[in-house]
Amino acid sequence: MAQTRPISANAPARSANAQNVSFVASLRENWLYWLILIVLVLFPFIIGWLSGDSPFGTPRGDRMVMRGESVYAQSVLINIFALSVLVMSYNLMFGFTGVISFGHALFFGLGGYLMGIILEFGGMDPNIGLIVALVVVLVVTGILGFIVGIVSLRLRGIYFAIFTLAIAEMGWLFFRGLSITNGEDGLNVASLPEWLDPARNRIMVYYVGLALFVLTFVLIRRLVNSPVGSVFQAIRENEERAQVLGYNTLHYKLFSITVAGMLAGLAGMLLAIMNKEARPEILNVSVTVDALLMTIIGGVGTFTGPVIGASGLHLLDTFLREAVVTIGPITIDIGERWTLILGFIFVLVVLIFPYGMVGTWQRLRMRFKRSK
Amino acid sequence: MSDVILQAKNLRKEFGGLVAVSDVSLDIQQGSLHSIIGPNGAGKTTFFNLISGKYRPTSGQVIFQGHDITHMPLHQRIHKGMGRSFQITNIFPNLTVLENVRLAVQAISDKTFNFWRSAAYFDGFIERATYVLSLVGLEKEINLPANLLPHGGKRKLELAMLLAPDPAILLLDEPTAGMASEQVPELIDTINAVRQQENKTIVMIEHNMNVVMGISDRISVMNMGEMLAEGSPSEIAGNSVVQEVYLGQLYDDVDEMAARGGPA
Ligand SMILES: Nc1ncnc2c1ncn2[C@@H]1O[C@H](COP(=O)(O)OP(=O)(O)OP(=O)(O)O)[C@@H](O)[C@H]1O
Ligand SMILES: [Mg+2]
Repeated sequence: MAQTRPISANAPARSANAQNVSFVASLRENWLYWLILIVLVLFPFIIGWLSGDSPFGTPRGDRMVMRGESVYAQSVLINIFALSVLVMSYNLMFGFTGVISFGHALFFGLGGYLMGIILEFGGMDPNIGLIVALVVVLVVTGILGFIVGIVSLRLRGIYFAIFTLAIAEMGWLFFRGLSITNGEDGLNVASLPEWLDPARNRIMVYYVGLALFVLTFVLIRRLVNSPVGSVFQAIRENEERAQVLGYNTLHYKLFSITVAGMLAGLAGMLLAIMNKEARPEILNVSVTVDALLMTIIGGVGTFTGPVIGASGLHLLDTFLREAVVTIGPITIDIGERWTLILGFIFVLVVLIFPYGMVGTWQRLRMRFKRSK
Repeated sequence: MSDVILQAKNLRKEFGGLVAVSDVSLDIQQGSLHSIIGPNGAGKTTFFNLISGKYRPTSGQVIFQGHDITHMPLHQRIHKGMGRSFQITNIFPNLTVLENVRLAVQAISDKTFNFWRSAAYFDGFIERATYVLSLVGLEKEINLPANLLPHGGKRKLELAMLLAPDPAILLLDEPTAGMASEQVPELIDTINAVRQQENKTIVMIEHNMNVVMGISDRISVMNMGEMLAEGSPSEIAGNSVVQEVYLGQLYDDVDEMAARGGPA
């Protein structure tokens, strides 16, 4: 007879004891993440201690000047945080949901520009302005992500990618021509609240950036491991099959694209705070291409890959771009050939790590486990 | 046992000038195993695509459990109790066997749109998925990435994904396609077992005559977009028109069938 079982999604009742055990288990599983977090929290002080420069800058008269190794290192990491958030958000959409977009720079750029415009022209107290900017950026990038997502119903794959490219290029042209933000020269953002001014109080910008970075990482990990995230991956693997299982895949793609857009907007805000300006370049397609390359190099559809890709390329960019290498009689000005060298590195990494650094490592480890 | 669960009324599908399905009407009885046979290009898969909602019919209606579902989107039909499998293996290749089936269970639950809890937290999903995998005999492979299963295993996985949400009707498109001949009886046994244990209605497209004659309650024969005949296995075997149009052609197809891996 019909042996139909009720299909329930009952959450198991967990005792307090079981919760303690699972906390210890999670600590054991995630110890590396916790260690990295602790190092990042102490980072300004560690560098300060190693170099002898204060993590708060150098005093000059009654104010602080942002000089010294620690403050400089903080600025490098703030850039890495912003880039990582951008690349993680791109990976949520591209790596976990399988949606290829060439328009991600639009969300990133809007984050910077909207904040700049609100702070400079809003006439508000900078603290209130910052909160208003945060809300406006989230709402606008959210709505825009939703609209772009709706189009993914009609356009698939490369056609969708070209559509997003066209929209983003329009945004770039618009802000390049917009006179109130000084067109190609970009908008200076001078009206930041003093506590968040990187020229006075960089360490606060550092911690705000760190918080955004950690929250994004945790959010994406939870999201991807949730029931919704498992459908993201099903869509990436085989969208038609997901539909035939009974999922309205459009809803899921909308969700992924919208969240990715909002996170990119926040990343753009962070970068604009750090640079104290919003320039049209942050809307350029090269930002999206960089995010794509960093995702691929680090590992598409992995949690740590985007962070490794973003940090690796940004560090190379920061420390090698200016370098002049002398080997015996030959002197190479790396800056002159930077694009070429970067291209070479990219080809090399893709050849050695066909699934990105983290992806390839995971596959090797899995194969090793199975063969045991 | 004379309730009609699924009804096609004058279903028609044209692709440009080509009439792939030409005004087909068909009643499927509750609890029966109804096979559809016919030569390549007869329109069998297209007929399934109309019933399952992948294509909109040019004209005609689909009635399921008394409701007109002609214009219902694909994903909603699953929630109404319809499940289908594919002629070409259609799974999530890089996800584990368990995850493939777990997704099928989750799809019809109301806890689907949760984006904060870990999916593993809902152990009702996993329990059901494990149970269904044991039904089809894949309990040892649950943690393997699906693309590492042998072909026969993939066909079983599809069956499990189909059974997971406990559908009222199963639409199977050539479940033995591409299988080595020695694996076919095992899959047929599995289908039979599922049918008896779970009391499902099954509509099955099948090329393999041995399979069809052995397990079907009724057989429909399709040719060039039309339903040529319908009857019990013995009626179909004795039908002269069918023999002429279809069976004759089929026996010419022996080489082609061998190439597909089915027994001649
Ligand atoms: N999407 C489509 N666009 C155009 N023509 C199609 C489409 N799908 C099917 N056809 C055509 O419709 C006809 C019926 O195809 P269908 O796949 O339904 O046959 P079938 O009976 O399932 O054959 P087989 O036994 O080979 O699976 C064929 O001529 C096929 O080329
Ligand atoms: Mg077919």
